[in-house]
Amino acid sequence: MNLWEVYVNSLADLPQDVELTLSIRTLNEGKYKYTYSRVAAKVSPDLDRYPDRLQVRFGRGQLSDKKFSIEILGEKQIVPEKYAWGEADIEFLARSM
Amino acid sequence: MKGHKDNREFIAALEKTGDAVRIRQEVDWDMEAGAIVRRVCETKAPAPVMEKIKDYPGFRFMGAPLASYRRLAVSLGMDPRTRLPQIAEEYLKRTNSAPIAPVLVKKKDAPVKQNILLGDDADLCKLPAPLVHEGDGGRYIGTWHAVITKDPETESVNWGMYRQMMFDSKTMSGAVFPFSDLGKIFYEKYAPRGVAMPFATVIGPPPLAAVAACAPSPIPEPELTGMLMGEPIELVKCETCDLEVPAHAEIVIEGVILPDVRVEEGPFGEYTGYRTSPRENRITFYVKAITYRNDPIMTISNMGVPTDEGQLLRSFSLGLELDKLLRSQGIPITGVYMPPDSTHHVMIVGVKPRYSGIAQQIGQLAFGSKLGPWFHMVIVVDDTIDIYNWNEVFHALCTRCHPANDIHIHKNSVGTALNPYASAHERRYSMGSKVVFDCLWPPDWDPVNEVPTLVSFRTVYPKEIQEKVLANWSAYGFPAET
Ligand SMILES: Cc1cc2nc3c(=O)[nH]c(=O)nc-3n(C[C@H](O)[C@H](O)[C@H](O)COP(=O)(O)O)c2cc1C
Ligand SMILES: [Mn+2]
Repeated sequence: MNLWEVYVNSLADLPQDVELTLSIRTLNEGKYKYTYSRVAAKVSPDLDRYPDRLQVRFGRGQLSDKKFSIEILGEKQIVPEKYAWGEADIEFLARSM
Repeated sequence: MKGHKDNREFIAALEKTGDAVRIRQEVDWDMEAGAIVRRVCETKAPAPVMEKIKDYPGFRFMGAPLASYRRLAVSLGMDPRTRLPQIAEEYLKRTNSAPIAPVLVKKKDAPVKQNILLGDDADLCKLPAPLVHEGDGGRYIGTWHAVITKDPETESVNWGMYRQMMFDSKTMSGAVFPFSDLGKIFYEKYAPRGVAMPFATVIGPPPLAAVAACAPSPIPEPELTGMLMGEPIELVKCETCDLEVPAHAEIVIEGVILPDVRVEEGPFGEYTGYRTSPRENRITFYVKAITYRNDPIMTISNMGVPTDEGQLLRSFSLGLELDKLLRSQGIPITGVYMPPDSTHHVMIVGVKPRYSGIAQQIGQLAFGSKLGPWFHMVIVVDDTIDIYNWNEVFHALCTRCHPANDIHIHKNSVGTALNPYASAHERRYSMGSKVVFDCLWPPDWDPVNEVPTLVSFRTVYPKEIQEKVLANWSAYGFPAET
């Protein structure tokens, strides 16, 4: 089971069982802890409903005592492909050698 | 005097003066390192250098590099016991001297090129970005650093300290305010044209480069660094863009600021001593390369209640830059001091009150300048008050400032998203208000019959009596004074 965390202004931002777009961060230990993914997901206050666990913080960092279960339906790409490392970068490197 | 060329020389100097502590046991980047630095700030302890970081063999941390006047003095090559007015005088002397341009060195002579990660290899999670405070919106990579960018038309270079949060392995988000030098160029010359803006983030810059990156000076920061160091700073070309970075920096992150993507940033513990600014979609940095020295030392500033370097150093340079500005306008000031414990919100200005309206003139210049967004109170006192002595300033404020006549409120000014007293709406749109406390005697009062006489040992006894009392102090039976 993975543990995730999300920031919301209010618990009303987390309606149950409908597809939501959320920026969630992993709380799994290790070098990638606290990195975000933008995902399509469903959540529920019923902790047994979905496979992973989600905890919630509010806008100034306060931890909510309400916990949720979460299912990640898919990941959304944040940075368009055109910015990825590519030929222009390799050419720049070659020129500056 | 020559400045420390890197943080390693600076740390060695601090160790000699007892202003740094080496921590050899393993420290967790996940809150433990942050908690150490926070406690150092609150107890005014020496700067911690953490030699062993969990999950990140080979990496090191240096916390609170400039959170005391002693460390600031050492960074300037001065005796750590130097009093603040003398440190201030030295800063003014150096920053009023001729600009010293940087020099370019070859990559083979630049320690920051010892390790180079490009493209997919340039993964931010390879760096031990700390979770500085529990509840922060992310791990902050840039807390004591410089973000280097260039104006595409004038080619003028900017180094600014703008906090950067790791969003994922390849992206960071940052609180770059629209009135900052970077904000102005990005929002005017890149974002509307849909063009990606190259940047280089320098973590662990030489200490005086960090001072320059957070000094609100009109002098371009590479030259300003040279003036502070007394010699040119050595720069080296970036791997992926046409920017130059300090050759002796510890870590450099290169990439582009995306014109059309915003990811969430914050919340974060801030210099006001609160987590105030809202979590919002902010400027987004996409990473293309990471270069670093062997055994790199990541610098960490932990902002919160006093005293951290955000407060101490920014108070120092905001005050002194205002000093220069007021003198450049011919205002007969005696000095400017901003107390760090005001979380850089209060300017104290000493003046020879030669004409009417001088306090308002000072307030208007201060609030109307580039420095203005960062503070909202100006206290103006006359030249009989020691601006560095809060007891004297507070006494003047409590006795000379007429509640109806001498408090001047300036509405609809520039503010910041970080002001704890401002409403959520005001924070979002950087709206501010300002106030001048005029603690000068009204110029139209008769000095003999209307201005009260200060009743103090210094002012109401003849010199002979003062000297006699002082000479006999222990003979009277009082304990010796320190
Ligand atoms: C630790 C620290 C963090 C800072 N973070 C930010 C920030 O996130 N955004 C910002 O606009 N200014 C920030 N500042 C203030 C700028 O560094 C300061 O205004 C500096 O003068 C910027 O230079 P500029 O005039 O070239 O924009 C920070 C200062 C310090 C000391
Ligand atoms: Mn600048």
